[in-house]
Amino acid sequence: MKRYQPEEILIERGEENTPVVRRTLDHLPDTPVRIVEPGWEREAPPRDGTDSFAAGKRRLLFTRQRSTFLEHCPAGTSGLVCCNYLVVSLISNCPMDCSYCFLQEYLANNPLLKVFTNVEDLMSEVAKAVDRQPWRQFRIGTGELSDSLALDPLLGFSGDLVPFFAARKNVLLEFKTKSDRIEELLKHDPKDRVVVSWSLTPPAIADTEEHGTASFAERLHAAQRVQAAGYKVGFHFDPLIEYPHWEEGYRDTITQVFSAVDPRRVAWVSLGSLRMTPALRAIARRRFPQTRLLSGEQILCDDGKWRTFQALRVKMYRTITAWLKEAAPQAPQYMCMETTPVWEKVFGHAPSCDKDVARMLTQPNLVAS
Amino acid sequence: MWIVAEQIAAYAQLKRLSPQTVARWQAWAEPDRAALWELVQALQLGENHLRDFLDWCEEIALRDGSTVAAFLARPELRRPLTAQLGRNDKLKAVKDALRKLRYPRLSQLEEELRLAVKALDLGGRVQVSFPPSLEGEDVTVTITARNTKELDEHVTRVRQRLEDGAIQRLFALLDQV
Ligand code: SF4
Repeated sequence: MKRYQPEEILIERGEENTPVVRRTLDHLPDTPVRIVEPGWEREAPPRDGTDSFAAGKRRLLFTRQRSTFLEHCPAGTSGLVCCNYLVVSLISNCPMDCSYCFLQEYLANNPLLKVFTNVEDLMSEVAKAVDRQPWRQFRIGTGELSDSLALDPLLGFSGDLVPFFAARKNVLLEFKTKSDRIEELLKHDPKDRVVVSWSLTPPAIADTEEHGTASFAERLHAAQRVQAAGYKVGFHFDPLIEYPHWEEGYRDTITQVFSAVDPRRVAWVSLGSLRMTPALRAIARRRFPQTRLLSGEQILCDDGKWRTFQALRVKMYRTITAWLKEAAPQAPQYMCMETTPVWEKVFGHAPSCDKDVARMLTQPNLVAS
Repeated sequence: MWIVAEQIAAYAQLKRLSPQTVARWQAWAEPDRAALWELVQALQLGENHLRDFLDWCEEIALRDGSTVAAFLARPELRRPLTAQLGRNDKLKAVKDALRKLRYPRLSQLEEELRLAVKALDLGGRVQVSFPPSLEGEDVTVTITARNTKELDEHVTRVRQRLEDGAIQRLFALLDQV
């Protein structure tokens, strides 16, 4: 995949000498740099041009996170089964540009690619939360507001996070990515506490809808390498996309994935139907007029999001979970943002509470490396 | 080519269509623009219906790799335009036909459920309905009765359909595509 090259680096006054800024400037010595005052981006004039969101991605701003890092995953909407996942965001926005990405709507008014410099605050927050409850198993992910690894060669956050999480027995860190930027990871020992997971769609979709991401083959190769280095791996068939010949596409994808990695050492596999708000559909239609994603049989659901209509969605889940069970019988499977009745139809049961799902995903299910 | 563009612009003014909707339509290839113009004119579409038509037409064309003009020429979409129907019935007929093209499996399932309900033969005062767009599992049975005797007859008929498995098949059908 292509290397990220910002047009401009903006550094909030006072953050010039933080480690992440120093590392980035070492990697990008020729990129113009500007020092800006705290809060500058709120007054910054929008960039000219028709696609301000794409333009925003090319401006890299270093700033401090002034509120808390640790949050509950927002997917835990009432009425949907929740997996008790926590998220921390060191980056807001992403150098890649998937046509279905919710950031297009979520960051529409503030589309800079923002990097938070105070990683030490994140770690002390996490330490406080997880060390206080040593009996509880936590899962924490960094891939909520950005791709976890796409910028790692520049920012090097994995060098801070992997040793920190590797030292804790009651928490799993998940890096979620569509990139193949794993070089930094390979320098560290995850001590089985770090999961690197890939979001996957069949190559026909990845090539046309996931702009700037690593190809399917590149992602798979990266997964093989991190697994060999002692990391747990995970896979997210999310968004699950209904398109002509989806059966063949997903069947092939699953076959290739589980012949490339050791299925016995897969931490989890999730599935989640493509879901888009009406506003996000309008944005995707405008920014990617050739996208075929909106042509599936999607309807507006009670939570205000468009999804493939239920009977077809359930068919897709049942078909794909059966193939996954065959290919990786030990890997726990779960669904993201689905209702209890859909869980019952797909898995034959629904978790009695969100802790059930969390427990299933943190149990040591893996053979020793 | 300019004639359709100008006609659309004049119509947009008359119907107070939003500039975004009009710009989207005007950006289509000339034959597609003209094919939709014919429908819009015949059905006197306002902003909301027009937006649905634009969405569905673009989505079908992208999915099937066809042109809007090609599928708008299909007989099931043309027939209502010349039928002896009022504007609202024409609009409903064309919109239903276009929805069937846009949502083929959902429409088919809805049709199968409609036939399955009809086959239950519960009479006109027992209504069976499904959630909108079949999202969810709630099947609603509404019984209307003028007296206890009538109510007893309807309930008995529903019970018979439960005992012979017809209603179970209806629930199972909700999941079948
Ligand atoms: S990789 Fe993820 S965060 Fe980045 S554009 Fe795609 S969906 Fe959005």
